[in-house]
Formats: sequence, structure tokens, C-alpha cells
Amino acid sequence: MGSVELKQLKKDFSGVTVLQNIDLDIKEGEFFALLGPSGCGKTTTMRCIAGFETATSGTIEIGGKDVAKLSPNARNCGMVFQSYALFPHMNVFDNVAYSLNIKELKKNNLFKKFGVYTRMLNSKLVKYPKEIKEKVNNILEYVELSDHAYKLTSELSGGQQQRVALARALVMEPEVLLMDEPLSNLDLKLRHTMRNTIRRIQQELKITTIFVTHDQEEAMSMADRIAVMKDGEILQVGTPTDLYSNPKTPFIADFVGTSNIIPGTVVARENGLTTVRIGEQQMIKSATQTEQDDVKAIIRPENLTVIGEENESFDNTFEGEILFATYLGSTVRYDIEVEGHKLVVDTTYESGNQIRQEGSKIKLGVLPERVLLI
Amino acid sequence: MRGLINKINGLGFVKFLIYGFFILFLIIPLLSVFLVSFTNEPINLFGSLVSVDQFQRTVEQFKNATLENYKSIFSYGHYFTGLKNSLYLSFIVSILVLLLCMPIAYGIARTKMPFKKTISALCTIPLIFPTFISAYAFIIMFGRAGWVTYIYQQLGGEGMLIDPYSMTGIALVQVFFFFPYALWPMVAAFKVSDVSLEEASRNMGSKGWLTFSTVTFPLALPGMLSTALVIFAVSFSDFGTPIILAPSDLNLIVVDAYREIAGFFNWGSAAILTVIMIAVAGFVYWLQNFLLKGRNYDTLSGKPKQVKLNENKALTVPLSIFSWFVVIIPLLTLATVFVQSIAKTWGLEPLPTGYTLDHYRTIFSSSLGNIQNSLLLAGGALVLSVVVASFVSYFVVRHRSTGLDFMTTVPLIVPGIAFGIALIQTFNTAPLHLTGTAFILIVAYSIRRLPYMVRSTVGTMRAIKQDIEEAAINLGASTLTAAITIIGPLMLPGIAAGSVLVFITVIKETSISVLMAPPDWAPMSLAIFQNVLRAEYYSAAAMSVILVAMVLVLQGLASLLSNRNKT
Repeated sequence: MGSVELKQLKKDFSGVTVLQNIDLDIKEGEFFALLGPSGCGKTTTMRCIAGFETATSGTIEIGGKDVAKLSPNARNCGMVFQSYALFPHMNVFDNVAYSLNIKELKKNNLFKKFGVYTRMLNSKLVKYPKEIKEKVNNILEYVELSDHAYKLTSELSGGQQQRVALARALVMEPEVLLMDEPLSNLDLKLRHTMRNTIRRIQQELKITTIFVTHDQEEAMSMADRIAVMKDGEILQVGTPTDLYSNPKTPFIADFVGTSNIIPGTVVARENGLTTVRIGEQQMIKSATQTEQDDVKAIIRPENLTVIGEENESFDNTFEGEILFATYLGSTVRYDIEVEGHKLVVDTTYESGNQIRQEGSKIKLGVLPERVLLI
Repeated sequence: MRGLINKINGLGFVKFLIYGFFILFLIIPLLSVFLVSFTNEPINLFGSLVSVDQFQRTVEQFKNATLENYKSIFSYGHYFTGLKNSLYLSFIVSILVLLLCMPIAYGIARTKMPFKKTISALCTIPLIFPTFISAYAFIIMFGRAGWVTYIYQQLGGEGMLIDPYSMTGIALVQVFFFFPYALWPMVAAFKVSDVSLEEASRNMGSKGWLTFSTVTFPLALPGMLSTALVIFAVSFSDFGTPIILAPSDLNLIVVDAYREIAGFFNWGSAAILTVIMIAVAGFVYWLQNFLLKGRNYDTLSGKPKQVKLNENKALTVPLSIFSWFVVIIPLLTLATVFVQSIAKTWGLEPLPTGYTLDHYRTIFSSSLGNIQNSLLLAGGALVLSVVVASFVSYFVVRHRSTGLDFMTTVPLIVPGIAFGIALIQTFNTAPLHLTGTAFILIVAYSIRRLPYMVRSTVGTMRAIKQDIEEAAINLGASTLTAAITIIGPLMLPGIAAGSVLVFITVIKETSISVLMAPPDWAPMSLAIFQNVLRAEYYSAAAMSVILVAMVLVLQGLASLLSNRNKT
């Protein structure tokens, strides 16, 4: 097990820069997610760590050792591919045993080498030694695939194939486990189960894991820390709660969860509150201190409260018109127009409540502590 | 420096070797035959590299280079007539094949004609024959003492129904034995041409014949023209038929080229004829690609649509009868060769006077060597092309090597006789004196048939995703180990399919064998050819039956293999 450190990593593909100034410090045993829209460079970063791409400049250290000169087959990074990349001509057992065969191949003399090669081409001809058998059976039991060991991988369901890929990577006891969008080929229900499975295995084995995804929900629910990437750069690194409550840029605010982003100008700073003009008359007060004058106010949909007949007192109130109402089960989402700004509000839905009419007026309030200025 | 050495790893070295192979045995021979067409005498390019004397001599030869040959082609009637006759022959053959195939292809693709399955199966028979065997079988059938001639005369005809030793004879053999090359692409064209368009036409009130002539036929037309060009090229480079059937007063360019080299060692003329043959074949190939540009039938066949098959008896019965007439002729040819092989004597009678297995006994006592040679040579060519094709497809698919892709299409264009002449010319003297060895023969066979192999292996290689290979490397395997344990086994079906094809075509190969095989390495095709020339028809027939049987067994094996892969 080891830490992973990237320093000033840069990657060009025939003159086009796809990665620049990537600095990451991933701790031992950490579950780390690389999150970003497609084409942001997250997969390239992972492929640089695995050694399938050579960085144009910068260093990569795994467990404190510089691996830049190591070929991909010497880096000991277990990788789970997006397509799983299982060997279609081998059964589950042979797939999982592949890396153990390779290790066997490296330490033996020519005669034994021939035997191992034969076993890799047809495992019926040369028997596996006891240690390999034990190891493979253990890991298969761990991912609950013992009953399927001698099936071809094409006979398995998507979730089972995923677990074979995981077992195949884990059995080599890698320093880091790399996972490239491992859940994207599964249906929604299975994806939720696999999230828990992967998280459980990671916690039990305490294995450093880097996980590439474009799905913020996936990243938030599984990772210890997340790096948000865009256009080949890292925008912010932090824990899920950190990213959600303190996004550094409007992009992150919108990409990690949903946000109302309202541009405006600072008109006053007093009593620890910053007042921002966002419309002709409409002002908004925020607890954020800033020296900029042109700012964007970020408000999460669930932090906006619908003010009813009862007199709740808010520093910030808006009046607007409901454009859409979307019923989502436990919540109702309203799209509201306030002085030319479109806002999204989430309200909890309790059975028996009426959903407000589209086109009707609505009054909203938000605490200054819940308004973030960027 | 160390970086450079690191870059030239094992795989890079293999790529270098393969380029070397193609340059040495394909590019340089073609180049030097082109040069000889100017210098009029053999040049020694390899010798010029190792010896100063030779180099000066070669320079001297270039100084004396002229355009005389090119002028004489167009002024001196002989070769010009040869070219004209060959083009005329190929043109007639491709038109006839097109007309012959259109009804059969339509019948197979779009109707429920009676005996459709049997007819489809019989349509593959012509492909198992080397053309010179079918040519000489035509002599047994239509010749002066042939049984067809006998029946024709009994019915009151004068002389022969068709003189096999004529342009007509050659054209007929080629038509009846090359038509399957056009049939299957045409069936495919009829099957994929968009059925919904036809339905639209019918929906607008158009009926049967009108729909066929205004929608179905125009849609299938580009496909048909390109198949006609395939036939043109096959007929133009066919050597087996004309060498047996062309009478002495009929010049054809392939035969001329063969005679110039095998009879007179006239390098200049052979070279110019070779250049012309390659130019014509190259032009036809270019034209064909030009026609097919932007039309990809494969993408259409991805979603097979249910076609309503025509059941109208008034159409299907005549179609079936016509198809039977076409397939029965190769079948009769096969039967004739077989009867001849077990006949005591056969001539001027409808049936032989008696039957015997003596001819087979003779073969197995005296000509076993030829069978053995055929197997060894085909086996050698097979191994060589498997190795080369596997690596070529790896480089073409993974490294997008357009250079190698191009090199493997060149042999498709070069007619066998032309390639043979180029090789003989280049490797005729020291330092690389290879002409007359089994080695150069194997190299020639495998290069000539490499396109088939590469097409098959590139297909399978494309189906193997890059990340499967990466997964193996990620698990600790070296590139070579990954190639052996993962890529190799996954490519096996493609290699097997290509191998059978290479083996069959090498056993059937005529032009290269006749031109290049040394006496102690004579394969079956050469032995049959010589027997026919010596008019030893009975042993030729017996040997032909053995050859055809071998091809049939191999083809059965191939379809067995491909069926097993499908399930």
C-alpha cells in the first residue's frame, strides 16, 4: 500500500495540452475521486499513473518512489477498466490468476516458465500450485463469486463481471487500486449496490484507491476526498462536505450539487454582512467577506425557504413567480423567476400538502450564512 | 543514446524486419523489372550494392536506357495485338459473367426459387478448380474426340460445337469458372439494397418489373460494376486457361510474357509486358475503389431487414432452370475429369471402353513426390504468411501503419506471371541467387496470398479491444507475454480461417509454379500442367482429382472451423 504524489504533471498530445500543473497528494489508504466532465483529463491523469501514458513533464511517486521510468507492467497498480477488459477466452478463475501466473513466470527457470505459459494458454494442461489456488479462491469468496469460478466471463451478469475485474486487480496486492468509471456500465440499482461493495472492500483492505468518475453523486457518496477537474486542470481538492459548502468557483458550485448562481455588485459592507445588488431593487445580504466588487452569489436550492402566512423573519427575502413545479417524491422543486433571475428551490413534501400552482406568486427567504459570494 | 536504444524494442525490431521483407521481395523486384523495361537487359540491383564493378556496369546500363521498348509496343504489331486481345477477352468475360450472374443473384437473394440451397452450394464448385484443369477438361469435353462433340455429331452437327482452342473457348472457360467471384458480392448487393425504398416505390403504386428496373436495379448497379471489374482483373491476369487453350495465332499478353521469359529469356520484352500488365491491373483496381468510394455495404448489413421473398412461380421456375444450366457445366467438367481418371481409354465414344485404377496407381508410385512438394510448399507459405500477417495486422490496427497496409494490397494488383517475372529477374544472380530454390518459391506464394491472410487477421485484430491488452500489461505482463497469452489465442480464429484459404490457393496456384518451380520441387499443379502439355491426359486427370479432393477436404475443414466459432 502506498501514497501517490503527482507534482507539476503536464501532458501534451501532439501539441495540444490536455493536462497542466496537476499537483495531487493522495494519502495511504485514502479513497480518492477524480471528478469532472468528459474530456477534463481525469482518465488521462489515471493513465499517467498506471503508465499507459507518459507525462510530458512532472513527477509521479508511488509509495515515495519515482515511477516515471518504470514501464506499466512494473508499477504494481491494479486497474479496473471501464469496460472491465476481462480476457474473453479465459474463465473467471484464470482471469483472476493471471497476475499470479505472471509473477510465477518471472521467478522461475526456463523449463518451469514453459509450464506456466502452457497453463496460461490452457489451464487444463498444467495444474495451479496450491498457493495460487488458495489466493484466487480467497479473493473470489471475498467478492462472492466462488460459485462462478469456472464460468466464462461472458456467462456472467454485469455486476459479476465488475467483481471479477475487481478481484483480478486486488489479487496482485497492488500499491494503488485505479478504477476508471467502474460503475458506468451498470444499471441504476446495481450501481447503488456496487458503490457499497466497493466502499466496503476499500475500507476493509485499507487500500489506496483512485477512482475516476463524471458522476458527482458517486464521488460524494464514496470518496474520502475529491479533486474536481476541468479542461486539464485541478480546480479544487477537498472532502465532499467541504466541496459542497465551500465551492471555490461557480463551476464547482454547479457541478457538485445544484446551485443558484446570481451575478451582482457589492454596494455595502457593514456589521460583518456584505450587501449585493442583484436587480434594480433587489438586494441580497451575505455573511461572506470579499474584497471584489463584481461577485456571484451562490445559494443551494434547499437553503431557500418558502415564506408562508406565518411571520418568519429573514434578512433576505425575494418575491417571484413560479414557472414550473416538479414533483420528485420526497421533495418538490420549483423553478422561480425573481427580477429576471431564475432560481431553483427545493421544498420537502409532506403528504396532504398542496403543490403550488404554476404562475402563482411566491415569497422566499434565505439566511445570510447560507449565501456564498465568489 | 540510451533513449534511442530503448525506443528500438523487440516489437520495433520486428516491424523493421517486416518492412525489410516487403522491400526485398516485393518492392525491389517490381522496381527492377520497371527499370529493365528501359535498359532492355537484366540489371542487378543487389550486386550493385556489394560490388563496385557491378555498380559501374549498372550505371552503364542506365546510360544506354531507351524508350525503344515502349515505342515498339505500339508500332510493332505483335505485343500490341496481345494487349488488345487480352483486354477484349477480359471485357467480354466480365460482361458475360455480369449477365449470367444477375438472374442467379436475384434468384438467391430475393426469391424462393426451387432448389435454391442446392444451386447455392453448386455455385462454389468452380472455385475448387485451378483454371488450367478446367481448361483441359473443356478439351476432353468439346475437343475433336470429346463426348460433347460426339453427341453433337450424333444429333447431326458438323465438326465441333465449340472449338476449345479459340478465343470463344477461353472466354467460356473463364465465364463458367470465374462467375462465383461475382455472384456472392452481387447476392450481397441485392440483399442490402434498401428494401424500404422498394416498399416505398410499391406503396406509390409501382409494380413488380417497374420497381425492379427503377429502384432495385439502380441501387445494385455500383456494386455490380465493381464486381464486373473484379472479373475483369481476374480474367486479365488468369494464366491457366490461355496457356492451355490459346492457339498459336492468338496472342494474349500473359502467354506472350510467359513465352518471352521461359522460351527466349528475352528480358526486355518480358519486362515491358510485365509493366503493362501491372499498369492495367492497377488501373482496374483504382477504378473499382473509385466506384465503391463512400458506399459501405457493411454498415447497412448491420441490421438485417426482413425481405419478402418473391414466390411468383412464373418468375422463379425459369430462374431456377437458368441457374441449373449455369451450374451444371462446372459439375459436368468435374465429372468428366473424374471419369477420365478411371478410364482405360476414352475417345470418340460417349463413354470409356473400360475402367481402371491404374492411373492412380501410377500417381502413387511415381508422382508421390509432387503431392509431397505441394504440401511442403503450401505449408511453408502458410507458416510464413501466418507470421507476417499476424504482425502486419498488429501494426496496421494498433500503430495505424499505412505503409504496411499499402504493401499488403500491392500483391492483389500484380498478376502472378508479372510477379514471377519480377522475382526471377531480381534474384537471378549473385549475391542473392535465389531463383530455382524452394525458398523463393515459398516467399512468392506467401506474398501473393498474403492479402487474404491479412484481411482475415486484421478483422479479428480489430475486434480485440486495446484495453484487453492494457489489462494484461497492467497485471504485470510484458508486451510479448501479453501477445502470446492474450492476443494470440484471441486471434486464432482469424488466423485459422486465413490459413485454410492460403493453403488452398497455394495448392491451386499455377502461374508462379509453372514459372518458378525447380524440377526437384515441382508441385502437383506443375506436374498436371506438364502432363497436359505432354498430352498424358489420364494421369493428369487422376492427379487433378486428388488435388480437387484435397481442396474439398480443406474447405470442409474451414467451414467446420467457422461454424464452431459462430456458436
